[in-house]
Amino acid sequence: MEQQLEKVLSEIVTQQDTVGALLANRQGLCLGAKGNINPNVSGIGTAISEQVAKLEPNSTVPATVCLYSGNKRCLIQKDGEITGIIYKQTTTASTSIGN
Amino acid sequence: MSDDIKKYFNGLLQKVSGLYVIQITDRDGVPLLRVSHSQEKNVDFALMPSFIPTFTTACDQASKLGLGRNKTIISMYSNYQVVQMNKLPLILTFVGAEDCNTGHILALEHQVDGYLEDIKLAVTEP
Repeated sequence: MEQQLEKVLSEIVTQQDTVGALLANRQGLCLGAKGNINPNVSGIGTAISEQVAKLEPNSTVPATVCLYSGNKRCLIQKDGEITGIIYKQTTTASTSIGN
Repeated sequence: MSDDIKKYFNGLLQKVSGLYVIQITDRDGVPLLRVSHSQEKNVDFALMPSFIPTFTTACDQASKLGLGRNKTIISMYSNYQVVQMNKLPLILTFVGAEDCNTGHILALEHQVDGYLEDIKLAVTEP
């Protein structure tokens, strides 16, 4: 039943720098997770995306949140009923702020 | 200390939108701590004499399914959702709106463990 979901998650984690991906439903419950990501973050991720959506209530484009922490990034996007959370980690030691 | 714990749980209540009540009781339903939004819906049913013992019984029965010890029961109703956690000798009950973020409530479990230890001591002391 969730084969399609698993396929999508597998595709996401094969992208460059991606270490983990997770999909959550409207209730903040984890629908599927792949890679190095804790399924418990689904609730908090959904809560963040819901709060961010309130900033632009009339926007038709789903908001994307990017949290930077050290060499890791957490991307959160809510599209309708589904919220996607992606963890990315830059492998290169030197990162330029100017870029 | 009790004030600190109450303040902490009040903070949690504010963090989760749609959450009405957080309640800590013993396994018989004796209330130990309860924080709620005073202006929100009346959720006194969570303190009904049959409410917590019913969860305790359901939890004991669910533990016999061969899947290990039952930790949490989530009950969805038309107007409410109730998340109950088995933290024996304590029972942690969250009551929220039907569209409240269940995953967020479940994520609180590990955060509250430290505070529950203090209350557990008070319950288990002779």
